[in-house]
Amino acid sequence: MAVCTGCSLLCDDIEVSIDGRSITRTKNLCRKGFGRYRSLTSDRSVPRVDGRQTSIQEAISRAAEMLRNARRPMLFGWSCSTLEAQRKGIELARRARAIIDDTSSICQGEIVDMIIRRDIPSCTLDDVRNYGDTLIFWGCDPSSSHPRHMSRFSYYPRGEKLQRGHEEDRTAFLIDIRASPTAKILAGNFVQIPPGGDSDLIDAMLAVLDGKIPKVKDKKALISMMNTLKKADMGVIFPGLGLAYSLKGRMDRLKALVDRLNETTRYNVISMVGHYNMRGFNQLLFDETGFINRVSFADGVNHGPMYSVVEASKSCDLAMIVGSDPISSLPAGIAKALARVPMITLDPHRTLTTELSRVVIPTALSGIEAGGSALRMDGVRIEFDAIVKSEYPSDEEVLSRILEEI
Amino acid sequence: MRVTIVTFRDIFQSEAQEIDRFSEEYRKMSAVVFLDKSDAVKAGVKEGANVLVESDNGRVVVVARISENAHPGLAFMPNSPWSNRLVPAKTDDTRIPSYKSISAEISATEDKVPTVEDLLREMVS
Ligand code: SF4
Repeated sequence: MAVCTGCSLLCDDIEVSIDGRSITRTKNLCRKGFGRYRSLTSDRSVPRVDGRQTSIQEAISRAAEMLRNARRPMLFGWSCSTLEAQRKGIELARRARAIIDDTSSICQGEIVDMIIRRDIPSCTLDDVRNYGDTLIFWGCDPSSSHPRHMSRFSYYPRGEKLQRGHEEDRTAFLIDIRASPTAKILAGNFVQIPPGGDSDLIDAMLAVLDGKIPKVKDKKALISMMNTLKKADMGVIFPGLGLAYSLKGRMDRLKALVDRLNETTRYNVISMVGHYNMRGFNQLLFDETGFINRVSFADGVNHGPMYSVVEASKSCDLAMIVGSDPISSLPAGIAKALARVPMITLDPHRTLTTELSRVVIPTALSGIEAGGSALRMDGVRIEFDAIVKSEYPSDEEVLSRILEEI
Repeated sequence: MRVTIVTFRDIFQSEAQEIDRFSEEYRKMSAVVFLDKSDAVKAGVKEGANVLVESDNGRVVVVARISENAHPGLAFMPNSPWSNRLVPAKTDDTRIPSYKSISAEISATEDKVPTVEDLLREMVS
């Protein structure tokens, strides 16, 4: 059995047949995971220094030299690396007195932060399968982003306490702006809101829980939904990017709702983390520093918005990017600022970021060419081995070699 | 025609991104905007035609698709380097960019849809 690192579900039931170094047959992968496996042979990155193709060793030495000379380096990425590589990355950040940040800084960091600090209760996906009878997918589209979420864990499967699965034992609601593929599955329980309408909906939900008339168009539908939510034995809220962006800076609204629901029954929250090991990085950095992201080691341990990738892209004098493509994923204006900074990039593939990097170090695809461990979206640790031999070093190896040379 | 652009993630686009970000396939899946039928009529934009999307932050040409279901005033774009041209570089105190809802003007255009290479060239210009 192999593990898929295509998303933060880390499906561990993947069957793979291998002929030499190529994969001939797979079973149980979703479309997204299949894309990840297929990427083994597509558009791999090549070692480069200043536009010239080099050996991996030369690229590593040059990276170490640049880091040694940098005064305000930023190390960014991390959500597609193993825990072992992340640990090395944090060590490197300490040694280089660098800023370290990960992709949670521009997506679901605020929610993950509350979960890791236990400001809101969480549970495992196995608990969801066994006991989660009332589910709210909020600002997410699991059918597209985590294609096996509903079938492996949340909606369809029979669980210990839920032998009749979604037909009778489970109710799931979807709250979203867009009539997504998931909205088709949960058609009768799809609550469509306008952009930014999440906070108003929370107010209305709280009003119903307080026995007041909610200020929404369809009062009956909301009251009926709240009645169902109240009857849960174990409810689970799955916030996605939609909620994360809509409530940014106001996550206390989500907490208020979760707290209120927990006064009468049990509700947990699992963040729909995208990349396969973002949760792992957030946990590791938290365990070491007390913060999940946006840390500077320039002078002890400091944390704050000025150490976010958004700010550091404008203020750093060197960026090391590990397994991420910020030139593609940042707003163009910020990516433009980052593009002016000398970049060192570790990535299995050619990306927009590798194209603009001074130093490119190709790495093994974790889960396929490199083993290690990672934390699933619910914080459960999943271990995996390499399933094919690779000519590329793992992130962990590259980072160890840079650490030795620095 | 003014609309609110909402970005989203699509499974086929994610698959294409995993496989090759420089492929024509990825561009086809990414450089699109899904318009409400009546909005498209008002903007004079037809299914499959090129459309200029312009926000306070930037502009980008993508291909118009007309949605089956109605969503007047909203337009959906897969999250990609194309949609990121429209996202404000200025952020609030949270330093989290506003990826999800962006006010933009849409209009018919004869201009071409940029390739990833075009976007990169512009990035370093
Ligand atoms: S759901 Fe996620 S982890 Fe599971 S096979 Fe699909 S991409 Fe891979």
